This record gives sequence, structure tokens and C-alpha cells, in this order.
Amino acid sequence: MRALILILMISLSASVMASAPGKNSYTQDQIRDLGFEISHELRCPMSINQNLFDSQAPIANELKAQIFLMLDQGESKQAIIEFLVQRYGEKIKYQPSFSAATAILWFGPLFLLLAIIATAAVLIREQHKHQRTNGNSYE
Amino acid sequence: MIPELGLILLIISTVSSLLLAVIPLVALHTKNHYLFSYVKTLTGLMTFTITASILCLLISFITDDFSVAYVANHSNTQLALLYKVAAVWGSHEGSMLFWVVAIAIWGCIIVFSSKYRDRLFIGRLIAILAAVIAGFNLFMLFTSNPFARLLPNFPIEGRDLNPILQDIGLIFHPPLLFLGYVGLTVTFAAAIAGLLGGKLTRTHASYLRPWALLAWVFLTGGNAFGSWWAYNELGWGGWWFWDPVENASFIPWLVATALLHSVVLSHRRDSFKVTTLLLCLLAFSLSLLGTFLVRSGIVQSVHAFASDPTRGMSILFLLGVFVCGALTLFALKANQIKSELNFTLVSRDSVILLGNIVLVVAAISVLLGTFYPLLFELLDIGTLSVGAPYFNSIFIPLTFIAVLLMGVAPLISWRREKFSALRPLTILFIISLAIAEALSMLTGSGFNIWLFLGTTSATWLLLCLSYLLFRLRHQGIESLARKSAMIIAHLGVAISIIGATSVSNFEQQELLRMGPAQGKVVAGYTFVYEDTVKVDAKSYTAIQANIRVTDADDIFIGYITPQRQTFKTNAMEVSKAGIMRNIFRDLYVSSGLQLSDTEYLIRISYKPLACWIWLGGLLMMLGGTIAALTGLYRLREQKRDSSNSSLLAATMGGVA
Repeated sequence: MRALILILMISLSASVMASAPGKNSYTQDQIRDLGFEISHELRCPMSINQNLFDSQAPIANELKAQIFLMLDQGESKQAIIEFLVQRYGEKIKYQPSFSAATAILWFGPLFLLLAIIATAAVLIREQHKHQRTNGNSYE
Repeated sequence: MIPELGLILLIISTVSSLLLAVIPLVALHTKNHYLFSYVKTLTGLMTFTITASILCLLISFITDDFSVAYVANHSNTQLALLYKVAAVWGSHEGSMLFWVVAIAIWGCIIVFSSKYRDRLFIGRLIAILAAVIAGFNLFMLFTSNPFARLLPNFPIEGRDLNPILQDIGLIFHPPLLFLGYVGLTVTFAAAIAGLLGGKLTRTHASYLRPWALLAWVFLTGGNAFGSWWAYNELGWGGWWFWDPVENASFIPWLVATALLHSVVLSHRRDSFKVTTLLLCLLAFSLSLLGTFLVRSGIVQSVHAFASDPTRGMSILFLLGVFVCGALTLFALKANQIKSELNFTLVSRDSVILLGNIVLVVAAISVLLGTFYPLLFELLDIGTLSVGAPYFNSIFIPLTFIAVLLMGVAPLISWRREKFSALRPLTILFIISLAIAEALSMLTGSGFNIWLFLGTTSATWLLLCLSYLLFRLRHQGIESLARKSAMIIAHLGVAISIIGATSVSNFEQQELLRMGPAQGKVVAGYTFVYEDTVKVDAKSYTAIQANIRVTDADDIFIGYITPQRQTFKTNAMEVSKAGIMRNIFRDLYVSSGLQLSDTEYLIRISYKPLACWIWLGGLLMMLGGTIAALTGLYRLREQKRDSSNSSLLAATMGGVA
């Protein structure tokens, strides 16, 4: 893993990193798993609709190196994602954050489910009532 | 000469489809059976000419006629014959032609089959199918003519099929998907025919059932093969990415699944006819919307191979015409279609209804997520991405609910069921919760909601199916045979869920720099990079890594050979993963960037139970096929049983 970080570090553009005091200290396995997890949830800015993990574009490798570097420094998953969102915009996240504009996206399905079930229940009840008064048959 | 012949045949079929779209409806309106008798002739003519037309395109491919633009752009002299054939449907124009041909043939089989005795219904149905064919033929003739010439400067050697598409997957995946869409077109036409006639009888439902099942089988196959192909070919190691193009074919599948269960209700119980009709319209509309999404290029996708914005408008126009027309008709006629509802809350009817609602909500949610970034940009609020994490968090809980209902439905009776019948089901549910909890504890990585939902739903479904088999043990082979299709298909769902849950939660992977003589242990398997070799194939050259794999007991089990392929014709580079598979796990290695003279970025994955995902898909297809064939067989039996008293003339006089 370190070998990868080192080789990719060379191509990493010299950027000043927000060096927060490292709060976490991860083991190598944790760094690997967290790094993979984060890079699965972020979109490669270069290639068409691929996540960072799968993308082979140079920028994706740089960003992966960046993620591992920040994990090495003990940054949390959230801090890393925030850092990348600041740099590349909201679009880099595959999981849109909750806001007024994404409320429909997050609550739409639940609302729809309840609305359809309620409508179906009302329609069926009405039809039952109708059938009872009309001698139970339509044929 | 041949391409011009193809074009003329295409024009003839367009004209005959326009006639066929009008004549049956006029004949029924004026009760003119002489006119109605032209239905068969016109259907035959339309189908023959359009089929001959696609054969002309095929001949142009086989004879390397690169003066035809479509052939020149998608074939070259080096291409193997099999891929030349597959290239016919490999891109936009050809796939449209293929789609129309398939609709015509399916319609022709229905018209010429004597199984379907309600000729009025079939007459209306073929008129609608012909209207759809006419729409797409005109679309082809005016905006994407597959026979357009490239004269005088045509490429002598041709160009090339997109190298990614040169795979056995291309031979199966798109045609299966198109056939699924064709099936949905047939069910759409049947729904419109029902609405025009103002009724959907049990006979109509018995026609609709095998068609919906076949459409569903093809769609299942199309999705499963597509996912399989992406897993093997695209080199990104995923099997489902919630990409817009994947969603475009998955959304109609979800609605088709709801449709085929709703048709069962309409057929067996003579109820929920309006729901069935609405689902037919919805499934077709969503499949067209998916085509629009893929072909217009308005969404960014890894799999869009034939996108072009100008085509988008034409498809959108056709979509508008068909969907608006259908919905208007639905609004006008739906209240004439009455069904009797006769069930209580605890009954198979209500459980299937709830399941269908969940499926439709899942489909609409996926649609919402797919279109949300687009809406966002159109409204100028900003940009965002909606991807796998979002879809999983919405879709997995909905699947969980659907699977709970799936387990219950076959175990309770139609109409009404006693509350006490739910007692064994509660016990089964508690057992499956306990098993899921135990599995969760065994893995020891804390509580994971996705793992928990996955294992609970899979065990629940398996337990319910076993309980069903246990209850059927005294009822003889016949009732088992009658239920076999459902049991196999539901078992397929359980198997797919097990595969998906296992791969998503227990995959082990490494991403590392590797060169000759370096090794790595992943999940107990030792991967040793032996050497790098150059491979020269007919259409590409490749740099291949030979990776030796030994298992935990140090026994040699084989080589995995991932490649970086460079195509000769257009220098495009693709990564072809090396996969070593058995029923319990896939070992997946893909090779990426060259990091130094001898070293590459290598990705090694251990994917437990990966192939169960597609194995489940195959079982679903098998179940669906059995059910469809049974339905068609029953129709034939009914025809034999009933006398020939009801002639066309009599029914026409009576009904029209």
C-alpha cells in the first residue's frame, strides 16, 4: 500500500493541505478499507460516470493517493470527503447530501409508497361499499 | 443495389404498416368484414418486407459493402463473421431496424396463430403494433436511415465496431433487451386494444399473460447478460453500478415484474384490470423513455455506445405521441372497465397488490434518481451526482419489503385467509431474523444494516419456499408442477440476493503495485506475478500479466491472465480482467496503469458467491419461460376444447 502511495505522490500536484491535527490513528487494514470505501463513493472528475476506485484516469489516481495520504494523517472519512467537495464541488459525491433541494430525492420514494397505498386502500374501500349496495356484481 | 433494395423494402413495409394501423379500426367501426379480412395479408406483407430489409443490411455487412455508411462505421474487413452479424444490431440505426423487425414478427405470429380466438381484440392489437412500427419506420427513414450511402469516398477497409463491443456479450445482451422491449410493446398494444374495446376479459388476460411473461424473461436476460458482460469486459470489477443506462433497462424490468403479477390477478381472479392496463402503458412508456435516455446522450454513462442529441428529439416526439395518446385513451375509457373486488386485507390478492405497489415505487424511485441530476441542471440550482450509495439506500429496503411479501403470497389463500394462518409465517420470520443475526455476529464486524437486510430476506424467502414445498408434499405431482414456475423464479430471486449480499459485504480486495516475482496474499489465496508477455490477437495486441494462484494449502490452482488490450484499428485501449471462477467464489484480477518499466497497478479481488447473482437470473428466466409456455399450451388446449361455433362474423356482429 505504501508503495502505491509513494509512487502516486510523485505525480501529486504540490498542494497545501489542510493539516488538521490527526485525531485518528488507523491500522494499515483500516486505511485500506476506508480508502476503498471513500473512493467508491466519489465520482471521478475526468471519466464519464465512474467512481474514483474504478477509474483509471490520472486524476483519479491522484485523488486516491490524496485520500490515502489524508487517512495516513488520521483524517476522518467525513473530513476527507468535505475537503474533496470543496475542491471539486458537490458533483463529486455520489451520495447527494440532504438539503431543501434534495428533499424530494430522499423522501420522494417513501412519500410515494405511502401515497399509493393510501389511494389504493381508499379506492378498494369505495368499490367494496359500492358492490355491497349494488348486489355484489358487475358482470 | 442490395442497400437500395433494402431501403425500398423498408418503405414498402412503412406504407403497409400505415395501412394496417388504420384498416382494422375502420373495419371494426363500419362492421365491414371484407375490409377486416385484409388484416392477415397486410400483416404478412409488412413482416415479410421489413424482415427482407434487415436481411439486406445483413448481406451488406457480410459482403463488406463499405459504401453503406452504417456498415462502414461498424465493420471492417478484419472483423470475424460472427461480429459482422452482431454489428447489424450493434448501433443505433441497425438496432432500431432490429427492434421493428422483432415487433413485426411477434405481431405476425399472434395474427397467424389460431390460439387467439377473439379476432376483434387481435385486430385492434395489430393495428396498434402497426402504428408503433410505422412511427419508428418513419423515424428511421427521416433521421437514421441504415442504408444511407457514403459515396463517392468510402473507406476501402471499413472502420470498426467499438472494440468494447467485440464480445460474445454483444451477441446476446442487446437483442435480449430489445426483445424484452418488443414484448412490452405487444402488451402495450394489447392494453390499448382492451381500452378501445372497453373491456379486458379473462380471455384477454390469458393472452396477455404469456406475452408479459416472455417480455419479462427477455428483460431479465438482457439485464443479467448486460451486468455479466460489464463485469467481465469493462474491467471495473463491478456487476451493477446504477448507471443511467443500466437504470434505463432496469426500470422497465421492475414494472414488467409488477405487470406479470398483476396479469395473474386479472387472469385468475378477474380483478385489477385497470391496474394491469395501467402497468402495460407504464412499462412501454418507461422502455421508450429509457431508449430516449440512452440514445439522446443527455445523461453521462459508461455504457452509452450510440448516443447522438439529434436523435433524442425524434424519440422524445414518438414518446410524446404514444404516451399522450395512450394516457388520454386510458383517461377516457378506464372507467368502463369494471372489475369485481372480492378480498379481505389478509389474502393473496392484497399481498400481491402490495408487492406490485412496492415494485412500481422502486421503479419510480430509480427513475427519480436517474433524472434528478438532469433536473437540477435544467433548473440551474447547481450540479450533483446521484449514484450507487443513494440507490442502494433506497432500493435495498424496498427490495426487503417486496421479498417479505414474496414469501407470504404463495402461502396464503386467495380471497380471504384466517389470521391464524399467519402464525407459522411469524415463526418462520423470527427464525430468519435469528439466522441473519447469527451470521452478522459470526462475521464480527459490528451490526451492518445492509448485510442484515440481505441475509434476512434471503433466508426468509428460502424458508418460505421450503415450507411451501413441505405443504405441497401430499397434494401430488400436479399441484407441484403447477407451482414449479413460480417456485423456480422465486428461488432465483433468493439466489441472486445471496450473491449480491455476499459480494457487497464480504469482498476482499487489494490495489497494489506489482511486477515480476512479487506476490500478495488475498483471502488466503497467494497471487504471484510471474511475468509480462505480449499477446498478438487478430484484432488487438495486448500486454498480459501471468499471475500464478495458489490456495491456502499452497496447492497450485491456475493462472489468471489480465490484459491491457490495444485495438489495431483505432488504437483504443481497454482493460480485460482475468477471472478464475467457481461456484463459491470469483478471483478477479485486473491490470491498470504501468507504474515503472516492469510494474503495473494491479487490482486483486476475492468475490465470494459472485456467480450466484447471474445464476439467480438464469433461474428467474427458467421459471418465467416455464410459466409462459404453460400459458401458451393452455390457450391451445382451450381452443381444442371449445367448438368452432363462434365465427368471426358472428362475433363481429355481436360485439361491434
